[in-house]
Order: sequence, then structure tokens, then C-alpha cells
Amino acid sequence: MDHKRIGILYLSTTLVFFCIGGIEALLMRIQLAWPDNHFLSPDAYDQVFTMHGTTMVFLVVVPLLLGLANYLTPLMIGARDMALPRLNAFSYWVSLFGGILLYFSFIDGHAPDAGWFSYTPLSEKGFSTRNGLDYWALALLGIGVGTVATAINLIVTIINLRTEGLTIRRLPLFVWMVLVNSFLIIAALPALNASLVMLLIDRQLSAHFFLNLGGGSPILWQHYFWAFGHPEVYIMVLPAFGIISEVVPVFSRKPIFGYGFVAGSTVAIALLSLGVWAHHMFAVGLGHAWDYAFGASSLLIAVPTGVKIFNWIATMWGGSIQFTTSMLFALAFLFSFTIGGLSGVTFATFPIDWQTTDTYYVVAHMHYVLFGGTLFAVMAGVYYWFPKITGRMLSERLGRVHFWLMFLGFHMTFFIQHFLGLDGMPRRVYTYPNLPGWGAMNLISTIGAFVMGISVLVLLANVWISLHSGEQAGDNPWNAWTLEWATSSPPPEHNFNRVPPVRSPRPLWDLAHPQGGRA
Amino acid sequence: MHISVFDPVSPEAGRLLWLWDASMWICGFILALVTLSILYILVRYRRRGPAEPNQTTGNPTIEIVWTVVPLGLVLLLFALSIVTARAVDHPIRQAPDLVVIGHQWWWEVHYSAMDAVDANEIHLPTGREMLVAVESADVIHDFWAPQLSRKVDAVPGKRNFVWIRVDRAGVYPGACAEYCGQQHAWMRLRVIAQDPAAYETWLAHEAQPAAEPQGGDAALGRMRFGQLTCANCHNIRGIQKQQQYAPDLTHVASRQMLAAERLENTPANLKDWLRHPNVIKPGCYMPNLNLSDSDLTQLTAFLETLR
Amino acid sequence: MRRFDTAKLAVSVFVASEAVFFGFLIAAYIYYAYFGATGPGPTAGNSLNPPRTLFFTICLIASSGTLWMAERKLAGSERKEFRLWLAGTIFLGAVFIAGQAMEYAGLISGRVTPERNLFGATFFTLTGFHGFHVLCGLVALTIFLILTFVRGFGQKEVSGIGAVAIYWHFVDVVWIVIFSLVYLTVWL
Repeated sequence: MDHKRIGILYLSTTLVFFCIGGIEALLMRIQLAWPDNHFLSPDAYDQVFTMHGTTMVFLVVVPLLLGLANYLTPLMIGARDMALPRLNAFSYWVSLFGGILLYFSFIDGHAPDAGWFSYTPLSEKGFSTRNGLDYWALALLGIGVGTVATAINLIVTIINLRTEGLTIRRLPLFVWMVLVNSFLIIAALPALNASLVMLLIDRQLSAHFFLNLGGGSPILWQHYFWAFGHPEVYIMVLPAFGIISEVVPVFSRKPIFGYGFVAGSTVAIALLSLGVWAHHMFAVGLGHAWDYAFGASSLLIAVPTGVKIFNWIATMWGGSIQFTTSMLFALAFLFSFTIGGLSGVTFATFPIDWQTTDTYYVVAHMHYVLFGGTLFAVMAGVYYWFPKITGRMLSERLGRVHFWLMFLGFHMTFFIQHFLGLDGMPRRVYTYPNLPGWGAMNLISTIGAFVMGISVLVLLANVWISLHSGEQAGDNPWNAWTLEWATSSPPPEHNFNRVPPVRSPRPLWDLAHPQGGRA
Repeated sequence: MHISVFDPVSPEAGRLLWLWDASMWICGFILALVTLSILYILVRYRRRGPAEPNQTTGNPTIEIVWTVVPLGLVLLLFALSIVTARAVDHPIRQAPDLVVIGHQWWWEVHYSAMDAVDANEIHLPTGREMLVAVESADVIHDFWAPQLSRKVDAVPGKRNFVWIRVDRAGVYPGACAEYCGQQHAWMRLRVIAQDPAAYETWLAHEAQPAAEPQGGDAALGRMRFGQLTCANCHNIRGIQKQQQYAPDLTHVASRQMLAAERLENTPANLKDWLRHPNVIKPGCYMPNLNLSDSDLTQLTAFLETLR
Repeated sequence: MRRFDTAKLAVSVFVASEAVFFGFLIAAYIYYAYFGATGPGPTAGNSLNPPRTLFFTICLIASSGTLWMAERKLAGSERKEFRLWLAGTIFLGAVFIAGQAMEYAGLISGRVTPERNLFGATFFTLTGFHGFHVLCGLVALTIFLILTFVRGFGQKEVSGIGAVAIYWHFVDVVWIVIFSLVYLTVWL
């Protein structure tokens, strides 16, 4: 089972979970469409929002990015497969098992319902008596094993299997970001594992790690979970940055501006991300020392992130922009992720967090960075690499319909949520009082969500139609420059008949410009 | 459109809004820069022919500029954060004026000045800095009234504090802002700010115990209250002493809302609540006692005397 | 182009992630032992038997030594000696596990359990996961011992043993940290 088939398995499975998570979102938005609605009971709503978050984080975004990394990394470094092919297969199957275990909780009678980060004591046995949380913990342990195994595989592959001439400083930025991301996974996932086993021991063996009545500390759970959870959100975005770093130069017909700075800022972000976790706890009352320290580190992480945005814009500056669907999504990423990043800066300005935390302002922020950021980047990557993976082009016409529906639907859904939060609407509420404007704002958000739902249908239609009758892609339909474009679409099982020589980050550009060209 | 965070009625909330405004200038500037650059690029640099553009790879000087300038901006935001934090979280050198204890899914409110206990509706005097202590009896909750001050978690085993000085009389909404279970959505609250004289009057009245009803349905209801185990959870000072397992009912009839903002406090609604609390607030810990119509009438009559 | 031994690189990265995992469990132990309220009842000082555990600790450390000897013999193609040293490693590791099982039995019969207080919770979690890692290592070592009979000594087997050795030494180091933190601090 080679990495390409495993990559396609990941992509297909995450597509299914994306649709499930999306339906969960639509169910929530129906319930919230007007005040005091009775579409979902509070108990049902609590399970749905927990499963939506858990699904999207653990069963969609991370496996999607790792699946893409799985497919592309050996190709982009001129290798035949991943370094550990059987571990690769194991990673997929154990992750899938975790996903099935999570959803089995519905069949057992009650899905987890304490939110995707399960704060204690609410998630302890005394307050969550059903089995849902045990399924949650066990499923995440399984998925976590798969994630760490993939990270190990990627690190070994990238270090060991690069083709002749492909030094670390000539790595395609997608591969570089995948490498840094993999180290971040190694540093962060074990914190989740420790948290989960302690919670399970509390729930099953009646310990008191997180129960103050036995001398434990509910706040310790928050520290431990966010020690994982914050790096996790960067794990969910770094490979997306990598996708943008591949797509934008190709459709600007120029190399990436500031390669070294884009690469270096990635390392800065990864390192800093290990030191910002308590910015999720500004309202806990840890004391000003904690607030100051984590406010500072969280503000600091905006700087290398900004460096990337500016470099991507500079890449386009003076270029020759091709408005393919892939590029449209990359542009949407730049705009939307900037908004999400800036709302993040307002949180890091921690007294503001004292108003906005745990409100719909957070829901807006996280979806701006994860959907407007990561998912738009993934869409750019899908339109860009679908030809390579399948040998056929996606329809640009349907792509444009998909893009505009998704872009407009997205902003319609989430921009208004900033205002709901600022007006006092907390998050994780199954309904709300008929305060002025709340009904209208929520209704607009719900309509936007359905527009996004339609856009996903268009995407699915595009994929289906193109798989059967899309235009033949050829080896290099975009005239791109990295090694994956130096073989057929789809690639043969052994990936390359002959790997081109590598003397720079753009081997195919070098081949086409033996004299060097305009530089 | 009224946005609570933008309508502060206290200096604390005012300072938080000021910081927000400052951050909007800075973030707005960055967003404008990014958006306008992208729009310019879309027009000026769209592909017009097959010729390859200049293959620029970078410019170390500009990299330094767009690292140092944002660094300066975030340092500015950090400095403003410290100043604001100190202005909102005043030092604590006294006992709290109020102690608010979060329960699933209601707020227990103690007034230190008098032996007064109430639930879900918090009265404050205008013009005076009040120190509110925030605790929890079970899971983590969060006390938040956006027009009045920062939010702060109610953590079991820990006591947090928030300072509030309301400068304008009125009624200000609030809510629990930490997911705490099924009825988190209806663990809301309101702060009723009164002029000092009115506040003192109210507080004095609040400290009064309830009086035994003299006759009629109310007296019958008082008897049923004891017989039907209501008294096991609900405290009515002067009539029945109990732990605060459930909202104190001594002055329940004088509250504006019922069930932590779930229902307007009218006799009809109160009766409806007693008839089936689990339908109005599914998951709440008040049992449905399947009360008969006469029980409902008598109990409602009794509770309505508790002004 | 292979720059590093694949199996050893993979296990090293894995070991790094496990180090983070143990780090968090150790931090919880330290927090509750020194900064929190373990509650009344058993503590490390009044429940544990450091001298007896020292004996089993020495067995585990010795097993790292025997494994190192085994690798040396393998490098010199002394296959019979390699198998003996490897068997010795497995034996010493099994003795450690037996000792831990005895210790657990004694503690549980003395009502020291994860439920009792936070010493119980953190102690059993930390040593329990360590013991689990030792057990997994023993399984891996045993599989390799059997493989040398079944498949002989190819490149894969040799590099595989090198990789398992990294894991085994790591598990040993973790135990030294745990022993020092949990037992030595109350003994000395």
C-alpha cells in the first residue's frame, strides 16, 4: 500500500468526516436561527457542538493536512515512497478506528457533550455520567497515535529520502512546513495523551487529578490540554501556509519572495506556539504575572505570522497573476486569514480578552483562521493538485461557482458573529433570549451557513464530474517548478522514471532556463 | 445597533473599550494595508501576456521593516494592555461587598453588608466601587456583564474577584460565560443598578426575613411547600432554613425574572414553572413533582407573598 | 540517499515524543507532591520501600548494560554470545516487572490506590505507564530474539535491534528519573 493510495484514503475519509461535521454545524445553525427555538433539545445540541468541534479538529483538518503531506512529500523530494510504508498504513487505520470509536458513542446512547476540550470538573464522572467522554478520550488516544506515527514517518522521510542535490535549503516550502509541523506534533500530542489518560483514570479509577474535592486541580486540566491545544492549532495551519507558499508563486509566475524568511518565520512560530497556551486562560484568574507573560508571547507570535503574509503579497507584487480557482482560494486565504489573525491579536491584548473570551467573538476568530485560513488554503491545494493526483483537471467553471458561494457564504456566516460576541452572546448556548438584533444576526449567520453547504455540494459535483470526464491534465498543467510536476499525472507506482537534477528550490524552472533567465 | 461592549456604564468597562478602540486602529491599519495591496495587485498585475515577470527573490531590507514595525506595534499593544489591566483589576485590600456563587444553572448572591441572600439578580448602588467575589459550587462557570466589567471564571475551590462601579442607574444583562452543562444558555443574570438611597432601601428590605402568610391559598401553599420537599432545597429566611442547594426564595416575588432570565416573573409563568420545570429548562435539577392544580394554585399564591 | 539509519532515526523521534509524555506525568507528580494538596493518607515517605526498589532498579540498569554487551557481540558477529546477552536483558527486565508487580500488590492490599489520594493517583499513573513501556520493550526484545532463530541476522534485524536498544535505554533513563524523584527524595 503505497503513500499515494494512503494519501487518497486520508483525503476521501476526511471528506466524509467533513460532510458529517458540516451537517452537525448546519443542525446547530438551524437551532440558533431564531431565539428560543426547539429544533434540538439542549442535550442533543451539546452533543452536536462537541462532536462538530472534535470531528473538525481531529478527524478533518489534521488528517486532511497529513494526508496531503503523505501524498505529496515523497513526490516533492524525488523519493519512491515514505520511509516507513507499513507504519504509514497503520497510521491511517488506527486513525480511522479512532474516528469510528468516537461516532460509536452515539450508538452506545450518548455522544460526548462537554465540548471539544472537555473542561473539568464538567467532564468528570460526577457531572458527565454517560460513556460519551470515555469514548472521546479513547478515540482521541487512537487518533493521536496515528498522528504521531505519521509525524515520525514524515520526519524520517524528509531527512533521509531527499534526492541528490535536494538540500534542506532547497526544500519546497510545503515540505519544509510539513517537517517543522511534524516536530510540533511530536512536542504537542504527548501532552494530549497525558491529559487524556489522567482524565480516564479520574473517570474510571475514581482518582482526583482534576477534582478539587480530592485535592486535585480543575485548572491543571486546562494547562495540560492547552499545552497540547495551542500547538495543535498551529499544527492545523502550518501545512496550509505551505500550500499557499506553493500556489501563490506558481500563479504569480515568480519565485516565493523571501524564501529564507518564510522558512525561518515558520520555525519561530512553531517554537513560540509552545509558549502561549495560557492565553486560553486569561479569565481563569491566574494572576497578572501569568496574564502579562502569556499576553506578551501571544502578541509576539503575530510578528512571524505577519512576515509570511507580507512575503506572500510581495511574491504577487510585480508578478503576472493567473486567476485560476486555486489562486482565487489563495487570495481568499490571504484576506480571511489576516482578519482571523488580527482578531487573534485583539485576544492577545489580554484585557480585551476579558470581554471577548468564551463568546461568539471567539467562534468568529477560530473559524476565520481555520476555515478562512486553513480550509481556503486546502481548497487552493485541492484545485492545484487534483490534476496531479487524478490525471484530470477540475472544472474551472464549477470551481468559480464553488469559490464565490463558499467565500460569500463564509463571510456571511462568521463576520457577524464578531458582533454577537461583542454584544454579549456566550458560546456553546443552545438558544438565546430575544435581545435586540440577536435573532436577526443569528438568522443571517444561519443563511450563510447554508450557502456554504451548497458550495460544498458544488465542490462534490465538480470532483465527481471531473473524475469521470475532466480534461486530461498532463504532467504539468500549471507550468509549475517542483518535482511532483516532473512525472505523469497520476504518477506511476514508483513515482519517477527519472528524477531531474536539483540545484535550487525550482528544479523544473532551472531545466526550462538553462541560461538562468531573467532574475 | 446597540453593542454591549461598546456601551460601557462603568469605568472598568470604559477602559476595556478604550483598549479595544486602540487595537482597532492598529489592526485596522494592518488590514487596510493588506487588503488594499491585494486589490492593487489584482488590477495592476493581472496576467496580460506570456512574458515572465522579473524573478525577484527577496529584499532583506524590507524584511527587516516588516518585522520591526509590527514588533513595535505589538509592543505598544502590550504596554497598553498592562496599563488597562491595572486600571480594571484594582488591588484588593478589603472584604468583598458581594459574593456570587455559580451553581448549575443559577447564581447565588450574598450581600456582605447585610445578611441578605438572593439569586440571579444582582443589585448594586451607582457611583460606588463594589468588589464582587466569584466562586463556584460545582463546575467552572463565568460571571460576565459586558457593560460593567471584565468577565472572570467561577472555579470550584478558588475565589476570584471583579471590581464594578456602575455610573448610570439601569438594568444590565449578563450571562454565564463558561460552558457548564445543559442549561448553560439559561444561566443568565441581570444587574440592577440603583441610586444609593434606593439601593440602601432595597438592601434593607432584602435583609428582612419573610413573614408567615396569614390565610387563604397562601397559607395552604406554605404548608404544601414544607410537605412537598421544596424546603429540602429552597431557603426562605424566617420560614425555613436550608442550605443554598437552590435559589433563595425569601424575596422571589420581587425579582424581575425567573429561572435565571428564562421567564418573566409573573404569577402565570411561576405557576407554569412549578408545573413542569423540566420542560421550560430541560436538564435543570428541579424535579417535576407532578403537582395537582390545587397545589399549583396554593404554592403560587404563597410564593407571590414573598416580596 | 539515506543519511541516517531509518529505524534508529524513527525510534529516536518516537522516544522524543515519549519523553514529552513522561515529562507531563512527572510534572503532575511534582505538582501534587510539592505544590498541591495530596490530601491525608499515604505519601511516598510512608508507603514505599526504597531499598527493595533499589534492587529492582539495579536489575533494570543492568539490563541496559547487558543489551549494550549484546550489541557489541552482534557487531563482532558473535551470534551465540549475542543471543545470551539478549536473553539476559530480557530476564533482568522481567525481574524488574515482577518486582513492580509485587510492589503494586503490597500497596493495593495496604489500601494505597489511585482513588485514595493524589499520591496514589500520581504514583500509579507514573510508574504504571513506565511499567507498561518496559513490558512493550520486553515484547519487542523477545520478538527479536525469536527472529534471530527464525530469520538469521540480516541488515534489517541488526538495524532493528539497534533501534529497540535506543528505546530500551530511554525506558531505563526514565526509570532513573522516576526512582530519584519518587523514592530517593524520601529515602535520603
